[in-house]
Amino acid sequence: MIPSKNHIGQSHRRKNALRHLAGRGRFVTDLALPRMVHAAFVRSPMAKGNIVELDVSEAAVASGVVRVFTAETLNHSCVPWTGTLDHFAGMQSGAQNMLASSEVLWVGHPVVMILAHSRAEAEDACELVMLDIEDEDAVVDGDAALVKGTPLAAEGINSNMCFQTLLETPDLDDAFARAAHVVEGKFTFGRHTAVTLEPRAIVADFDPSTGQLDVHHGTQTPYQFQDVYARHFGLSEGRVRVIAPDIGGSFGMKLHVYHEEMAAVAASLMLGRPVRFVADRLESFVSDIHARDHRVTARMALDAEGGILAMDVDDMTQIGAFSSYPRTSVAEGNQVIRLMGAPYQMPDYRGRLSVVFQNKVQTSQYRAVGHPIACAVTEALVDRAAELLDLDPFEIRRRNLLADDAYPHVSATGYQFEKLSHQASLDKLHQMMGYEALRAEQTALRKQGIYRGIGIAPFVEITNPGASFYGVGGARISAQDGAVIRLTPAGDVHCAISVTEQGQGTETIIAQIVADQLGVTPDQVKVTTGDTDNTPSGGATWACRGAGIGGETALRAGRKLQMQILTLAGEILQADQQHLALASGAVVDKTTGQERITLAEIGRIATYRPDTLPKGSDNSLTAAQHFAPTGYPFDFTNGIQASHVEVDIETGVTRLLKHWVVEDCGRIINPLLVDEQIRGGVVQGLGPAVFEECLYDDMGQMTNASLADYLVPMAGEMPDIEIAHIETPTLDTILGAKGVGEAGTAAAGAAAMNAVNDALRPLGARISQTPMTPLRILTALGHV
Amino acid sequence: MELLGSQNLAATPDQVWAALFDRDVLEQAIPGCESLEQTSDTSFVAVVKLKIGPVSARFKGEIELSDIDPGKSCTLSGKGSGGIAGFAKGAARVTLTPEGDYTVLDYTADVAVGGKLAALGNRLIKSTAKKLTGEFFANFTKALTGEEETPVT
Repeated sequence: MIPSKNHIGQSHRRKNALRHLAGRGRFVTDLALPRMVHAAFVRSPMAKGNIVELDVSEAAVASGVVRVFTAETLNHSCVPWTGTLDHFAGMQSGAQNMLASSEVLWVGHPVVMILAHSRAEAEDACELVMLDIEDEDAVVDGDAALVKGTPLAAEGINSNMCFQTLLETPDLDDAFARAAHVVEGKFTFGRHTAVTLEPRAIVADFDPSTGQLDVHHGTQTPYQFQDVYARHFGLSEGRVRVIAPDIGGSFGMKLHVYHEEMAAVAASLMLGRPVRFVADRLESFVSDIHARDHRVTARMALDAEGGILAMDVDDMTQIGAFSSYPRTSVAEGNQVIRLMGAPYQMPDYRGRLSVVFQNKVQTSQYRAVGHPIACAVTEALVDRAAELLDLDPFEIRRRNLLADDAYPHVSATGYQFEKLSHQASLDKLHQMMGYEALRAEQTALRKQGIYRGIGIAPFVEITNPGASFYGVGGARISAQDGAVIRLTPAGDVHCAISVTEQGQGTETIIAQIVADQLGVTPDQVKVTTGDTDNTPSGGATWACRGAGIGGETALRAGRKLQMQILTLAGEILQADQQHLALASGAVVDKTTGQERITLAEIGRIATYRPDTLPKGSDNSLTAAQHFAPTGYPFDFTNGIQASHVEVDIETGVTRLLKHWVVEDCGRIINPLLVDEQIRGGVVQGLGPAVFEECLYDDMGQMTNASLADYLVPMAGEMPDIEIAHIETPTLDTILGAKGVGEAGTAAAGAAAMNAVNDALRPLGARISQTPMTPLRILTALGHV
Repeated sequence: MELLGSQNLAATPDQVWAALFDRDVLEQAIPGCESLEQTSDTSFVAVVKLKIGPVSARFKGEIELSDIDPGKSCTLSGKGSGGIAGFAKGAARVTLTPEGDYTVLDYTADVAVGGKLAALGNRLIKSTAKKLTGEFFANFTKALTGEEETPVT
């Protein structure tokens, strides 16, 4: 018998990789529609100010220009959006619309939209716009923003505090009072941004003759945008179709509502012709969401043996002039204060969060929302405690990590862990990295003036969120997903599913899962994603939910179709369906494996000869299934990372020598793709730890907003990344898969910072700010 | 960003001083000047077309002269808005010192830029600002004396 089961758990190459390699990718950026016009935007050069003069008359008659829109002529067509959610009690944000009407609130704020026959002509016309802004003092620094008398960063808010919250266990103060040791630190985490290979892209195409709006949109979340466009432009949802084809990187950056995309839709609705906007690199830096931007003060209480008693954390995070829509800009900080100390048996905790407005680009959810901050702060303090108690970093963690048999467990911050594998992961890492040998080498090299460091960082990752994540706060963001699977008349399988593909291999793993339910090979399963007209509605791909929730949806839909096929086969064969199974593209005898009838034959009979079926037979060979998680609010995963670095103490340059990850994402569907996810995630964690930062001057100008100055991590700078796994499936689903996409990012920076500080330790220096640039390291060393 | 410079001009301090306040001379001197309108004894409004690196734009700016010590020194402050390109604002302290048949014009300018100009980084802006300043004084000298002069520094 040809093995057609158990594709789950096998490494399959991405189905779309060959197509991309052959240059056959189809991105929104590639799309050219008849009568399409191209958009370019005039943006505010000032962080804050009032528009005193705006003259577009010359631009309007420039060569190739079709239409020029200002706030006055465009904004009325759109219901403003406000990035607040009910479950973040007391949060505030001003309402936003497409173009700045009187006030500009960050450098890059769009003021004028110009549509022309080409992007070049639109850009040329932008230069003819006379925009005069009377500048005002911008709110640049988050701490200063909260000082009384500081101007407000935007209209529609009563202070620069967007959101504040406090988590506290009753015995927190007592824990610190009885502590044998307290370690503390102040940390700064810079802003960075996604820098996707393909920038943000949209082609909005409204057909006035049918009232149909088609939006080709490089986004992770087509259904969310279908809802947004329908509601904000007063269209019926059935008349809005969002198509997300190939997407050149997303990472959370492409699921937020942006002014330019909304303006492209508005303009298409008014002009009745396709409108294209593709961000260029310069405007991406000042309009794509930024991430992080935290200042954290934290202390940790320990008993005499190094047992962690409590953490007390204050996080101030700076988010720009508005909270982003529809997911808000407070989820990041909210996760920072809830993930602190998550891997440890830590009974007490206090976390304060202040989310602050300022006149910069909005920050919002980006890969591993909040995780890198919580992990870096926690692990830096654990390392400080180890140093104080003269314990090895592995030993202090061994004493504190949750025991593998201590589940279910509720963390001091209220997270419920079904089952994690911290201790097994720690042991596996220790062995895998050859820890003792590395320490011996470190000691030997120090005598030669070479400063190497080893840093480790256990982590917990939030995956498979249920409706408590957004839905309960009133956001129209789906926690469920849907799949429609059909057997074609020729016996092939087609699966339309709401989770989307951005290069991580969603379509490949869905094909593997479906194949196993229907006894076919993944090659025989065609998967359609990213089209609201052709797939059922669902949350799509974000927060590490594609494999766990989307995969479970596909599995259940597959089993439903399996039952339909077996029922029909039983009727055709006049056999008890209990004795039938699907394998090798056929219905087989369950006991002997002997073929009874092929899927192609079933498809043929059901489609072309339903007249031969017994009376009352259901010839449906299509199954639809939706699935929403109903067990734990999240499926937490865990793992541990280690970083090996060498710091040149003369130049301050850090070389990343090696990186290790042990990860437990539950059931592994495709080991190859899981490892790819972890590697990519690690790189996106190391980037902002060492290189990436959006730098602003004290006037609110971003001073490195181009790829000439913003440092993206390159392959040459990245270390080899060794990966191992432990599998602890969730029992909440049949599939047992949890998410993995953000695990690498969650702890890579924390491990690197601990490694750098390990290297600097004999010199009495310490760094608590990312990125760990040469200048900052030299400053820590007292050399500058 | 600070810009420092010095220029030898073949004219008396009084001639240079008068030229600094002369609309026609300034119009010829300012690189890319499309129009210059005198709005008071000490203020002007200018429209200037410039290309800075990959960014070309028309800047609409106001120039004001203050802290005037006639014949000796004054402060020129200005703010130029270049639409898509961004903006520049700054102030320059100009002093005139007679030296033989020449007048030495020293300037210390503090310039801030915003928008695309800032995003593209200091390296480009500084070299462009230097080039434009050089052009300004070359034009200024030409308008003043009808001669070409090379800057001292």
